[in-house]
Amino acid sequence: MKRKSIRQLLGVSLLCAMLAGALTGCGGSDGGNATGGGSDSAGGTGKEVTLTFGSHQSGLPTSGIVQELAKDYEAETGIKIDFQISPDAQWRDLIQVKLNSGEAPDIICVDSPIGLASSIHMDQYSVDLTDKEWVSRMEESAKSAVSVDGKTYGITFAGPKMYFYIYNKEIFQNLNLEVPKNYSEFKAVCQKLLDGGYTPIYECTTNGWHQVLPLFETGGLWLSDDPAVYDKLNANEIQLESISHLQTIIEQLDELAKAGYYGPDYLSNSWENAKEALATERCVMTVAEMGFIGEVAADYPDFGAEEKLGAFVMPWGDNQSIGVNPASNAYFINKDSKYVKEAEGFFDFLARPENLEKRLAGQPEINAVCWSGISTKYSEEDQAFLDSLEKANVVQTSVNYIDSQWMDIGKDLESMYTGAMTPEDVVNSIAKRRNDQAVLQKDPGWAE
Amino acid sequence: MNRKKLYPWYFASGAAILFFLLCFLPGVLGIAYSFTDWNNFTTEINFVGLHNYKRIFEGNSEYLLYIFNTVLFTAVTTIAKTIVGLALALLLTRQFIKFKNFQRMIIFSPQVMSFLVVGLVFKSMLHPTTGFLNNFLKDIGLDFLAKSWLTDLKIVFPTVMTVDTWKGMGYIMMVVIAGLMSISPEYYEAASIDGATFFQQLRNITIPLLKPVLVNATVLNVTYGLRVFDMIYSLTNGGPGNATGVINTAVYKEFSRGDLAMGTTLSSVLFFFVLALLYFIIRAMESKEVE
Repeated sequence: MKRKSIRQLLGVSLLCAMLAGALTGCGGSDGGNATGGGSDSAGGTGKEVTLTFGSHQSGLPTSGIVQELAKDYEAETGIKIDFQISPDAQWRDLIQVKLNSGEAPDIICVDSPIGLASSIHMDQYSVDLTDKEWVSRMEESAKSAVSVDGKTYGITFAGPKMYFYIYNKEIFQNLNLEVPKNYSEFKAVCQKLLDGGYTPIYECTTNGWHQVLPLFETGGLWLSDDPAVYDKLNANEIQLESISHLQTIIEQLDELAKAGYYGPDYLSNSWENAKEALATERCVMTVAEMGFIGEVAADYPDFGAEEKLGAFVMPWGDNQSIGVNPASNAYFINKDSKYVKEAEGFFDFLARPENLEKRLAGQPEINAVCWSGISTKYSEEDQAFLDSLEKANVVQTSVNYIDSQWMDIGKDLESMYTGAMTPEDVVNSIAKRRNDQAVLQKDPGWAE
Repeated sequence: MNRKKLYPWYFASGAAILFFLLCFLPGVLGIAYSFTDWNNFTTEINFVGLHNYKRIFEGNSEYLLYIFNTVLFTAVTTIAKTIVGLALALLLTRQFIKFKNFQRMIIFSPQVMSFLVVGLVFKSMLHPTTGFLNNFLKDIGLDFLAKSWLTDLKIVFPTVMTVDTWKGMGYIMMVVIAGLMSISPEYYEAASIDGATFFQQLRNITIPLLKPVLVNATVLNVTYGLRVFDMIYSLTNGGPGNATGVINTAVYKEFSRGDLAMGTTLSSVLFFFVLALLYFIIRAMESKEVE
């Protein structure tokens, strides 16, 4: 009898332990966050300060230059910086939860622009940095990406992204081709290249994003019709369907695909093979940033990319202005942090001209920083070319609910290429998703 | 019945509480969320009734295509895997086949490979110009058979279903072989003495005695087919366009878009669908057992 009750007691206590374990497991993540939380973990009793720096993987250059600059800052001031890096895909949700629960790190890295309805509203959570000396040295487009209502909240470094048609100058020369200035010239060039035995354009749809660039990097066309078009779209005063250029470009994309200018395999191609396609001269043109030429040169040194490859503006819809995308990663200071002064000191340190130069030199994938007075890595010829271009902000950083459906638009275009959708269907589908997202996010412009 | 010999109810309470907390409750909550506008962008959750369900079944919504694709995928792969698996099992239990175990192992091996690996390998093998399949067809003079396997709207879904059948048939074959081994050879002896042909034996002995095994295999195939995600995701990512999208790729898409309520609604539709189908399949199984 006694043994039985001992056994029962043992059983009940084991059950309790098991339940307690399960419940602790459920609550565990909260505890974990608290220890990782920035302001609490910043150590020390006055003298020794550790700033926590939360970022997603692609928020920090892979070369480790930011960590190196942080070491320099530590050597100078004794303030340590603890980098807490999370996977890209989870960062947005994670930082949102941490900000809402007051457990965010002292310095936070998120993608700009922060002023869009679909962005994380860093203005609510960050220290206002408008009065800092360095704010005026940031280029206007970059500043606007980290500002809301005229107040600047963050610091950003990478120069603006610009997508061109990168083309093989030598093949153009051999076939007596001129750089096309409008769509009909572009089509004629493609036909001659095809007749010459080349695949005119390297297009790839499997990554989902590349085919979408012509639609929204050509925002200059939209702005030339109405300079306030972006604001009107955001206020839902005009509809996306009413932008004629969008449908025109989609129709042109379809026309070139059907004419065979993308080659037979564009629906199976991936962006990773673009360098090979150009370096082997299998394809002659592709949409890419200027930095792509350097990447081809690095991977295919015998090809002579720097001499052979050039760039021209995407002539879709007769566009002649280059789309400038000022969005990049930006750093913000958590306004609930105990060490706002120290974090501001770190930003001041990063904004020193010598440190900006060090960063540019230590980050191979970028050619320029968005700071006045810092010379770029562009050659003189490239710089002259860039200076000669008319520039316009791209659509996705100015109009709400475009960037968030980028990959879906890629799929729509794929459907169009296979014949399952018409260009009109694609426009309607983009507009519908945009409306759905706006309603979901209770956008005031869409209030009934 | 001796009630004293029954274990008291609280012996099961540990497992029951854990099951309730970790399986049942989240499931019910998930279904409850499908009647709300739960999303990533606001902390507020409002009851919206059947709005999300209406969005799925209204007019020509893309979700209907996903549901149709899921059902088609399930039906075709279930039938194909069962027929091919049964045929292979019959073949690999014959006396005249050499190295039976080795061959069974080879055919079974895709089953243990990860979906992602199979997807990536086939994606490269089926590339229209650099892929192994088209190059092989061209080399043996069958150029006209070389196709854009994963990008041509007409053949992409059959291609995906074929790859899935290839991966899953080995498992069904093994299950059927186990079933065949349990059939007493006397039946076949008696039948052959009576002069029954192979197909007569198959129809009158093998299939009836394999019925429980085949029903089990069908349950497995149907539940797998309705929940398919990895194979489609790694092979075509639902493309080209949305041509090969299924319910679970749509659920994934809705969650990544932040429309959590729509994601749970689609999952709930799938849940009810699987539940209803399983009910009928299990009913069919039970009636067979009574016979």
